[in-house]
Amino acid sequence: MNSVTALKRGIGAELYKFRRTFILWFLVLAPAFIPFINLMIFVKKGHELVGPEDNPWERLVQLSIEPANFLFMFFVMIVALFVSSIEHNSNTWKLIYTQPISRLVVYTSKVVVFLLMLLFSLLLFSLFSVLVGLLLKVLMPDLGFDQAFGMSLFFQLAIKVFLATLGYASLQFWMSQHWKNLLLPLGIGIGGWISFLILVQGWKYAEYHPYGFPMLGLGNYKDPAYEWLGELKFIYRSVGLAAVVFVLAGLDMVRKRVV
Amino acid sequence: MPEPIIQTQGLDFYFKDFKALDQVSLNVPRGSIYGFLGPNGAGKTTTIRVLLDLFHPKRDQVRIFGKELLDHREEILGKIGALIENPSIYKHLSGRQNLEVVRKMVGGKKERVDEVLKIVRLVDNADKKAKNYSLGMCQRLGLAAALLTDPELLILDEPTNGLDPSGIIEMRELILRLNKEHGKTIFLSSHILSEIEKLATDVAIIDQGKILYEGKLEGLKNEGNNLQLKVELDQVDTATKVLEKQGFVISEAYHNGLLLSIKTRQEIAEINQLLVASGVQVYQLSSSQENLEAVFLNLTKKLDQ
Repeated sequence: MNSVTALKRGIGAELYKFRRTFILWFLVLAPAFIPFINLMIFVKKGHELVGPEDNPWERLVQLSIEPANFLFMFFVMIVALFVSSIEHNSNTWKLIYTQPISRLVVYTSKVVVFLLMLLFSLLLFSLFSVLVGLLLKVLMPDLGFDQAFGMSLFFQLAIKVFLATLGYASLQFWMSQHWKNLLLPLGIGIGGWISFLILVQGWKYAEYHPYGFPMLGLGNYKDPAYEWLGELKFIYRSVGLAAVVFVLAGLDMVRKRVV
Repeated sequence: MPEPIIQTQGLDFYFKDFKALDQVSLNVPRGSIYGFLGPNGAGKTTTIRVLLDLFHPKRDQVRIFGKELLDHREEILGKIGALIENPSIYKHLSGRQNLEVVRKMVGGKKERVDEVLKIVRLVDNADKKAKNYSLGMCQRLGLAAALLTDPELLILDEPTNGLDPSGIIEMRELILRLNKEHGKTIFLSSHILSEIEKLATDVAIIDQGKILYEGKLEGLKNEGNNLQLKVELDQVDTATKVLEKQGFVISEAYHNGLLLSIKTRQEIAEINQLLVASGVQVYQLSSSQENLEAVFLNLTKKLDQ
């Protein structure tokens, strides 16, 4: 059996086992949270938010991506816990590691599914946000949502957040795979993030803090001349870190004594 | 002798400084039901985890189907079904869906799921959520998962642990059926001697990481040529000291007596004299042929002394 077939099987099994779990709902409902709140805000207070000269889409982008960038941190931690705890809680590491598939393939399937979940939810979030704008165009015509706007910005920013997230996401994933304890990765994750918020106020190396890449890496998207692929150094750092951590975590899982 | 289906040679295994397995050499004959017997903590589960590469052995220590385990890991695991200690089951899925997860990993036809459900007699409950399963059903589901690839070799770690009597009987019948009708070699660990006695054709006894006996079950019974002597007396401590000084092996001490293993009837008189001479009141001496349990206890307790 070649490794592509094995990987397909691994991913297939991995996706199948999340049937009837809370996480599938979480992947769909969590991205709807911010768009839903935004819809409420625009319906109730749209006129206060948008001046007569403004393009309301710009306001919507800002109200979507900024809280999302903040909350996504917790989302990543929770998803990382979910994809690992499904094995920890059911004692199934020994089940999947005694199947005729190499440990590396089992591990890679998990990484792929984890990353797909994150990307899926982010893109869904962008889609929901655009739908909110289109809905407002119908519901509240006087807000001006009929003005021209490049909708692709929603998706571009989401992809940028995804890439900038990979660095710390890989750390969360490794910790969740390695430890059965749920609180440890959560505690370290929140600690990592808070430490960034403190360090960024004065420490010159804060820009190398993995939990800060998503905040620092988004760039000034409010600038009309903004190019989403312009400033990429945080993305490179994030992806580079992820590559290293995913490899180390893979070695760890391959060598691990499975109890 | 044909090549054993499992063969370990000089297998050592450490947890940090603790030597969990000490020169374990096993030869499991093809077609056998091989009982792997030992008290709790003797190294049974560790051995099994090593055989399945959950704990990595060193190269050339483990050969299965005549092939080196580490070099042919996936090929070998494809022909082994394993059930290790507590059940590995996704509780939120039904029994059938649990099997489906494994089937997706190993490939194979969808019909095989129904076949294995039939073998373990779980068809009626296949679509119930596994969290509503009894322990016996969980074990049977685990066995069904192990059977999905139609393996030549089954490695079962304490498969009757925690089951009620009817569950134990059911599991025992299932194991016998898999061996007789489906021709599978079964490697079975247990700390319950009577369990192994009813099933196994071959046994190995392990204690403190060392193999104390390996061979036919009948051979083990022959080891028990010894007589067992039960002495009722009043001063157990004094008696123990006196007898041990003379080199007798005491297998068990009770509040009102001792159990010893002896070679000849002559020794009974000797023991009596020794005890009387040291002022111990002897109330009763009774000897009997050693049963398997005594053999087992003797083998595993000798090390403590």
